[in-house]
Amino acid sequence: MKITKLLGLVAAAACVSAALAQEPPFPIAAWSRTTAAVEDRGTSVERGAAVFNNWCSACHSRGPQNAPGTASLQVKYQGSVPAALEDRRDLTPDVVKVFVRNGVAMMAPFRKVEVSDADLDALAAYLTRARP
Amino acid sequence: MPSPPPGVSERDFQAALRDLEGVVGREWLFSSDEDVLLYRDGYSPLWGEAEERKASAAVAPNSVEQVQGIVKVANQYGLPLYPISTGRNLTYGGAAPAYSGSVVVDLKRMNRILSVSARDKTCLVEPGVSYFDMYRHLRTNKIPLWIDTADPGWGGLVGNALDRGGGYTDIEFRDHFDAHCGMEIVLPTGEVLRTGMGASPQAKTWQLFKYGLGPWVDGIFSQSNFGIVTKMGFWLMEEPEAALQVSVTVPKRRDVVPLVDTLHSLMCAHTVPSQVNVVSPLMAGNNPEMLRLRGSGGASDEQWDRYAAGAGGAPFWAASFVYYGARSVIQAQWQHTKDRLAGIAGVRFQETASHTFPLTDEQVEAVADKARYGIPSLNLFGSRTAPGAPPLEGHMDFSPMLAPHGEELIALTDYTGKVYADQGFTPSFVGGLMFHPRTMICFHAVPTFRAPADNARTRKLFETLVRGCTERGWPIYRIHPVFQKLGMEMYGFNNGALHRLHETLKDAIDPNGVVSPGRYDIWPKRLRGQRA
Repeated sequence: MKITKLLGLVAAAACVSAALAQEPPFPIAAWSRTTAAVEDRGTSVERGAAVFNNWCSACHSRGPQNAPGTASLQVKYQGSVPAALEDRRDLTPDVVKVFVRNGVAMMAPFRKVEVSDADLDALAAYLTRARP
Repeated sequence: MPSPPPGVSERDFQAALRDLEGVVGREWLFSSDEDVLLYRDGYSPLWGEAEERKASAAVAPNSVEQVQGIVKVANQYGLPLYPISTGRNLTYGGAAPAYSGSVVVDLKRMNRILSVSARDKTCLVEPGVSYFDMYRHLRTNKIPLWIDTADPGWGGLVGNALDRGGGYTDIEFRDHFDAHCGMEIVLPTGEVLRTGMGASPQAKTWQLFKYGLGPWVDGIFSQSNFGIVTKMGFWLMEEPEAALQVSVTVPKRRDVVPLVDTLHSLMCAHTVPSQVNVVSPLMAGNNPEMLRLRGSGGASDEQWDRYAAGAGGAPFWAASFVYYGARSVIQAQWQHTKDRLAGIAGVRFQETASHTFPLTDEQVEAVADKARYGIPSLNLFGSRTAPGAPPLEGHMDFSPMLAPHGEELIALTDYTGKVYADQGFTPSFVGGLMFHPRTMICFHAVPTFRAPADNARTRKLFETLVRGCTERGWPIYRIHPVFQKLGMEMYGFNNGALHRLHETLKDAIDPNGVVSPGRYDIWPKRLRGQRA
């Protein structure tokens, strides 16, 4: 599949606010995990956090409960990299996009009516944001 | 650029795509390879093979009027359409069409919760509303109602009900099609139909009374291709004061007979309200002796009980279920259940969870077995269980229907264990799940892969199970599109009288054969030669 090149990554990273130095930057209640549309507001990273909450966190939150994707990655990597995607420092925007659009193992691909290209850009910005 | 649907010229296909773009706008027509590939079924048993079911394009309307516009274009060009709701019907086809070349009508954008009545305990929703969406709406607005969710929370109320899926809570809600009340459908001609009381425009009871007047037609829009459902009403469960989740275990193989008989009796008496899940902890895992017994297909009760006695005390069968309601009533129901089951030697009773509602956010996070409390999640989606083991790539549900009798569960276990073993597979999970009031569904997860050679083995296993179980009186209730022809063959009484009626209806309702050709093996007259 053709991979859309991420534009504006540098600009997005520059938008990281002081609040993001605190982890988790966007506390999420389990019940708020939804597949509702993401509003186009805030910085790219903030929007990406909302995309992550809506579409990824039900599998890939930090867990340990209610995070089957995180548990699977723990089994896969055995701690060589963090199992929670939000704690990874080695992801690139292209890698994020490949997995979202191609899926992997039991994770089916996400369609553009679910995660739009703009949402995917924001998600990639969030998961690859600069952190202290 | 994907190929046009069979029988549609490239010129007409391009003209149709332009017209569809005119209906929904450029952003919501998907016709590039990159976009259309997102509509593959990631769990397809034909992944990467020439016969894999693939779309030619996808179009995402945002209103009933746009759905009507799409249907009009389809009729003009003979374009096969394939509507999906949230597109997450994984194990049963996902977002991929039943007939290759179809244009997927992706209804995910139609995700409005049109009404919720706390007083009447009903809702009216569009097809794109997921269980997560509905749960959030109720929770955010502090509406004391529960949904009944399928295992994957990203599934939708409408799509799951139309494929006759199920959940876990009270009997009135967990059969999702049975829990619906009123539909709106865009017929293949473009006409809009409302069923039940919705046909009487001033009626105040569309989501309250199912039947209306005259023949009740709602059933023909489930597991079918007679229209595109654009609204659906549902009855919702009032949040109970409390819930008590319990487990009942019995030590010997044949104990499952009185266990199931008694629990079924208690279900019918509305003493046990929830889905009852009867599984065999002893038959889980990969113990070589256990696998040998399962694979033999006919080990005796004595052999099994000897194995059980040496297995460290694991019970042979465990039933789990939930009581919902006032705390005092729950305690009386639980005591009555224990009294009824006390005659089984070695029976054990355990209270495994107790909740008082409403839950705090932290309590929601901590709840195990979330679907039993109407809480959506994706907790079944772990791919990896052991370091170095290949990840699970997908599966199809094989789901035979049994009378709620323990003897039947034993006989099924003997049969499927041998079939799995003979074909080189590890026998599947064993369980009888009482979703419906008078049957058990015995789900088997048949693995699917990305390698054609592996999938060829899977398809052989799946077909053997479908045919063999049907011969033994256990046909399936729902099936992946790749096997829908096989599935309908299993319902072939009187040389396929039921299937002939389906296609008679198809010709009358969809004269140009544009909606979901081939779904549940119902083909329009112009495409009957396509039946593979």
